[in-house]
Amino acid sequence: MSSSVSVAAEWDLLSDRFYRRITIYSPLPWSSPATTTTSSSGGGSGGAGRLDLSTHIVAAAPFGGPIAAVRDDSKIVQLHSEPSRRRLLLFSSSGHPLASSPWTPHLPRLHSLAFSSSLNLLALLSDGSLLRFRLPDLKPIPSSSPVPLLPPASGGVADAVFWGGGVAILTEDNRVVVTADIEVDDPHPRELADPGVGEDEQVLCMAVVEPQFVMSGSPEVLLAVGDRVVAVDEDGVQLLGEALEIGPVQKMAVSPNGKLLAAFAHDGRLLVIPTDFSRIIFEYECDSALPPDQIAWCGLDSVLLYWPEVLLMVGPNGDPVQYNYDEPIMLIPECDGVRILSNSSMEFLHRVPDCITSIFGIGSMSPAALLYDARDHYDKQSAKAYDNYQLISSSLPEAIEACIDAAGYEFDVSRQHALLNAATYGLPFCSQFPQGRIQEMCKMLRVLNAVRDPEIGMPLTIQQYKLLTATVLVGRLINANQHLLALRISEYLNLNPEVVIMHWACEKIAASTAIPDIVLLEGLLDKLRLCKGISYAAVAAHADNSGRRKLAAMLVDHESQSSKQIPLLLSIDEQDKALQKSIESGDTDLVYLVLFHIWQKVAVEKNAPLDFFGIINARPLARDLFMTYARHSKHEALKDFFLSTGRLQDAAFLLLKESRELEKNPVASKGSIHVPQVRLIDQAYRLFAETKEHLFESKSAEEHAKLLRVQHNLEVSTKQAIFLGSSVSDTIKTCIAMGNERAAAKVKSEFKVPDKRWYWLKACALATVGNWDALEAFSKEKRPPGGYKPFVEACIDAGQKTEAVKYILKLTNSAEKSEAYERLGMHEEAKAAALQADNNGDELFSRLKFTLGQNALIDTLRDRFSSQGTY
Amino acid sequence: MAQIPNLDNSPLNLTALREQSQKDLLNIVKSIRGKKCLVIDPKLAGTLSLILQTSVLKEYGAELRILSADLLQTECPKVVYLVRSQPNYMKFVANQIKSDEPKGLQREYFLYFVPRRIVACEKILEEEKVHQKLTIGEYPLYLVPLDEDVLSFELDYSLQECLIEGDTSSVWHVAKAIHKLEFAFGVIPNIRAKGVASSKAAELLNNMQLEDPVNMDNMGMPEIDTLILLDREVDMVTPMCSQLTYEGLLDEMLEIHNGTVEVDSSIMGGQQDGKKVKVPLNSSDKLYKEIRDLNLHVVVQVVRQKATSIQQDYAEVKSTNTQSVSELKDFVKRLHSLPEIARHVNLAQHLQSFAAKPSFHARVEIEQIILEVENYETCFEYIEDIIQKQEPIETVLRLLVLFSLTNAGLPKKNFDYLRREILHSYGFEHMSLLYNLEKAGLVKKQESRSNWVGISRALQLIVDLKDPEKPDDISYIFSGYAPLSIRLVQHAVRSGWRSTEELLKLLPGPHLDLKRGVSSISFSSELLTGSVGQQSTDRVGHRSLVLVVFIGGVTSAEIAALRFLSAQEGMGYDFLVATTKVITGNTLLRSIIASSKEGMI
Repeated sequence: MSSSVSVAAEWDLLSDRFYRRITIYSPLPWSSPATTTTSSSGGGSGGAGRLDLSTHIVAAAPFGGPIAAVRDDSKIVQLHSEPSRRRLLLFSSSGHPLASSPWTPHLPRLHSLAFSSSLNLLALLSDGSLLRFRLPDLKPIPSSSPVPLLPPASGGVADAVFWGGGVAILTEDNRVVVTADIEVDDPHPRELADPGVGEDEQVLCMAVVEPQFVMSGSPEVLLAVGDRVVAVDEDGVQLLGEALEIGPVQKMAVSPNGKLLAAFAHDGRLLVIPTDFSRIIFEYECDSALPPDQIAWCGLDSVLLYWPEVLLMVGPNGDPVQYNYDEPIMLIPECDGVRILSNSSMEFLHRVPDCITSIFGIGSMSPAALLYDARDHYDKQSAKAYDNYQLISSSLPEAIEACIDAAGYEFDVSRQHALLNAATYGLPFCSQFPQGRIQEMCKMLRVLNAVRDPEIGMPLTIQQYKLLTATVLVGRLINANQHLLALRISEYLNLNPEVVIMHWACEKIAASTAIPDIVLLEGLLDKLRLCKGISYAAVAAHADNSGRRKLAAMLVDHESQSSKQIPLLLSIDEQDKALQKSIESGDTDLVYLVLFHIWQKVAVEKNAPLDFFGIINARPLARDLFMTYARHSKHEALKDFFLSTGRLQDAAFLLLKESRELEKNPVASKGSIHVPQVRLIDQAYRLFAETKEHLFESKSAEEHAKLLRVQHNLEVSTKQAIFLGSSVSDTIKTCIAMGNERAAAKVKSEFKVPDKRWYWLKACALATVGNWDALEAFSKEKRPPGGYKPFVEACIDAGQKTEAVKYILKLTNSAEKSEAYERLGMHEEAKAAALQADNNGDELFSRLKFTLGQNALIDTLRDRFSSQGTY
Repeated sequence: MAQIPNLDNSPLNLTALREQSQKDLLNIVKSIRGKKCLVIDPKLAGTLSLILQTSVLKEYGAELRILSADLLQTECPKVVYLVRSQPNYMKFVANQIKSDEPKGLQREYFLYFVPRRIVACEKILEEEKVHQKLTIGEYPLYLVPLDEDVLSFELDYSLQECLIEGDTSSVWHVAKAIHKLEFAFGVIPNIRAKGVASSKAAELLNNMQLEDPVNMDNMGMPEIDTLILLDREVDMVTPMCSQLTYEGLLDEMLEIHNGTVEVDSSIMGGQQDGKKVKVPLNSSDKLYKEIRDLNLHVVVQVVRQKATSIQQDYAEVKSTNTQSVSELKDFVKRLHSLPEIARHVNLAQHLQSFAAKPSFHARVEIEQIILEVENYETCFEYIEDIIQKQEPIETVLRLLVLFSLTNAGLPKKNFDYLRREILHSYGFEHMSLLYNLEKAGLVKKQESRSNWVGISRALQLIVDLKDPEKPDDISYIFSGYAPLSIRLVQHAVRSGWRSTEELLKLLPGPHLDLKRGVSSISFSSELLTGSVGQQSTDRVGHRSLVLVVFIGGVTSAEIAALRFLSAQEGMGYDFLVATTKVITGNTLLRSIIASSKEGMI
């Protein structure tokens, strides 16, 4: 068990738990090989490959994220070979430079740096304004001017605490301002309740309980003021833990789960208290009453205190563990431990997981330890392997499980191997063990080892990885421009590679300013083809935004979804193509989209509606849709369109429509609406008359205008406003009904009403007013040109049986006679007439008889049911 | 009986389809918390009554209103508009919102477009400066089941849009709706289309499958075997004929809206108080299912038989005391069908009051003469007469369109004469109507010889009826005329278009035969060899399902003909009908008349 002993020897015991410090990366290069030689380019942090934490303002992102640094100009620094201009530097966790950019001079002093949870770099300036930078190129977003977070005249930043989504700022005049939406372009800072700091009092330190741990969903800020601690939120201030008599607190840190607070009191005590200050969970008296430089939680079980050269780990029981550092360090809390960054190395300090203590713990006889040992013996071809196996055979599954889990916690690849080997050794003896477990672990470890590689520099633990999720990891890799690895991982884990390829394509376009469009296009298409259903339009949009319109045009051609393609074609000014494609798509909504766009560009902005008409007139669907839309709301434009494209008849119809609208909304001009109406109809008439195809329409329009004039005169002479708007026939009927035969006759002759119609109209009108004598006289004037049917029907419609019979007798067609009798309910006569008709061999009539009829039958049925509720 | 039809007997799982629509709507209502006023456009409100009981919406705190030009009266702090994407509604919405401002009302406004947001509508909202105030969403209702075998796209104006305006929005809508169906029921392997719009829809459907493919890997056999798309334009003759089936007559005389007719309560045997009652009409009513597609006079006989047999039973029950309990039970069970019988007795009686009129006889008679292209003069004079005595304009036009279609137009002299008579009788405001009908080819000048007789012979459209009680051909539907559209469907189903190619060329628009593979789609009209008839025998006991889509509307009589076909012995397929709208000649013409008059087309 020699190997096990050496493993456990590196552990430190804190009360009953082991902790270990793993060196992940050492030494840290702080420069890339290329930039060390050409330090003048300033790519690295000074060509010598050095970063002194003590002279820089530094931020490090959790989950093995990058490190950002800016030289602290409040400190006197000896410049070695570094340039004197300050730069914003970005490194991976392994100390590899990722990017740098000059720090804008003349800005207010930099107060602090931090990373947001989506890995934007945040820089808080001492006047309370905020700069944000995008990774990996440190481009300022949304602009290079800082966004103010504090109200004016607040005196600047006294202290600030960041969390993933926001920042809490204590101002010089002791107000608290919280910004919880720091990622959006224009964040909304809110001032919390006045913490009530007295004139002669001082805020000693502050801490933030993150919003996800607070019931109200907004952050709670803890302030140590004088000898008390207050919790401040939007609604008010709460005094905490009076009964505990802690005294002035010098330093505070909230635990990773938001429930506990580590507080360093003025008398050198470290206290762990619930955030509601209900009691003291434990306290430890430090040797020094001097407050530590840094305080951090290591998991949930211990608290780290850092004074220069000394790092003290305090647990609930027993003696603390002390580590010594001869260089400055920075504590980076993680969910399952703390990373310790120094000038030369990156370490990870965490509690040794139980599965590992069970295997490597000194003297451990756990099944897992025995299995591990068995494998060792087996490899050495020792028979002891079998003895071990026999000892643990009943608890083999737990042993295998523990070995697999332990492998997951190891950073050392050879030890991962050893542990997994041990697990596989047990596997053949344990058929019920789920086979997938070990493969799953191997998969995860391969991903983890790949990203832990110093070239990539993301020292994720397995717990962090699970919390972060693979998708976010891929996202982070993309943002670090590690597209190849991101793609490989995506493929390996069966994730959709679209996001990787898309990002790659965009970065490629941005980085290929010198490559000609056609070459770049080929390169892009090669990769884009890898991913089915990828949006070419999105890539094209990016190309356009990067000033490569031609490339965009070529890319968008490959987009298969017209709803994505067309808007883009419009944005790159390919209007004709957009119109063409939209028509091909058959989606009228897309055609409208293009039409409105072109209308705006051509007809409105260039003031060239004729050009617009030209464009659409060549394309029937576009033309027809424009016409449909314009009928609703763009009358004038439609008229112009018709006139300019020679559709005179359509323009004329539009004028007729306008004339009718006048009728609907009578203008206050008394009784003379017909004047503008007639004018419009006359115009329409002239337009119709221009082409010989519309002779009928032109004549009709002419007649219409004439009718309106006649009707107007009738209204004037009869003093009754009942004529305008009615038809020629109705006008005649009205005249007759009013007894004005002369006027009726005049209308008849003016409009050349055929005699046949005249008989229908007059008979009907006379019957309507019940003038039977006149009707009879009319019937005797001469033999009616269409027979006596008009008289019969007029009488039947008026319900005048005796009058009707007079005229029925004069009917010549027997079928008509029969029908008329039937309508009067004179069945016998109807039958007689019908017989006559049948003799004439009217075959159709009899065919229809069985189709319909049976009137009497259903009547009887109905009677039977009429007494019942029927519905 | 409910207005929402029972869909359990549908050949396709339409219940799931309807439930999805219900869920989508409820999710919208639920997503907006608290009390809200739900403003629905009038047409959509009717459609929704086929999807859910509106009372359900009230349970989620929604107050219901119908959208109109009037201002909105409500106390609710949130207003949710649910409207079809039509420009005229946008003005209403804008006016209502704008009127709240001077009153100092602070409200949240939501606008859900049905079935999707449309640039042309949003443009109006922008111009009216209310777009910013609205939270915009979509309610993707593309299709509504009217009954177990009828779906409606609810596109009232499809025909005039395609035929007169050149606006093909409805074609895209139809393709989209079918594509959505394919997501649920698999990619339809055979497509046959006839007509401009139908061919375009088939092409769009293929494009959609390319852009947004239905994943066929985890689906079984496609549930729909064949899709037949027909433009109404191909057969404008049939809707112009008076329908003679029970359902057809109900629609012609009383107008069926969203599966109900509205009649005076006195007609249904109620009080003579002028109140209206709504009578639901769908196949959940067993008796209605049995008689809806029969000729009215057969309906009368069936109803009479049912009534008499119950009466006899009743007499027996009364006269003898020897019945067993189970016999009594049977009798009582049959008594339960009494309200159904009574309902249809009342309705049939009411229809008879129209259909028994000599004028109706004369009308049907003249239609037959026109269809047989006999006696031009008689027909011309009849039409002249009804214009001159100013019968309702749609009645006149219906016959005139029929007359013009079968004669390939009217000689110029007659054409101009009748047009002038119409303008004189009904007013000059109908000038654009006549122009539009001419543009659509419905009433036009004769320029070539009519091929109607040829078509009619080749397709055997005019058939002498043998026994009207036991019809053996779809020609019973119009008492001797077999609807052209359904004859085409018969051919398409039996042997594809190939056998009727020459004939199809005589009808308007291109035709298309598509075979879509399971893995890849091949676009070829030559590939089709097997017929549906053969395929249906491949799977024993399985009836193939044919989806027949009418772009521009279909009449109840035509649906009846399809039902008749699938009920024939030896027929291996069921039909499912989808239409932009169930129409009658009158409703179809009426919307053209109204739009023309308003100058909107």
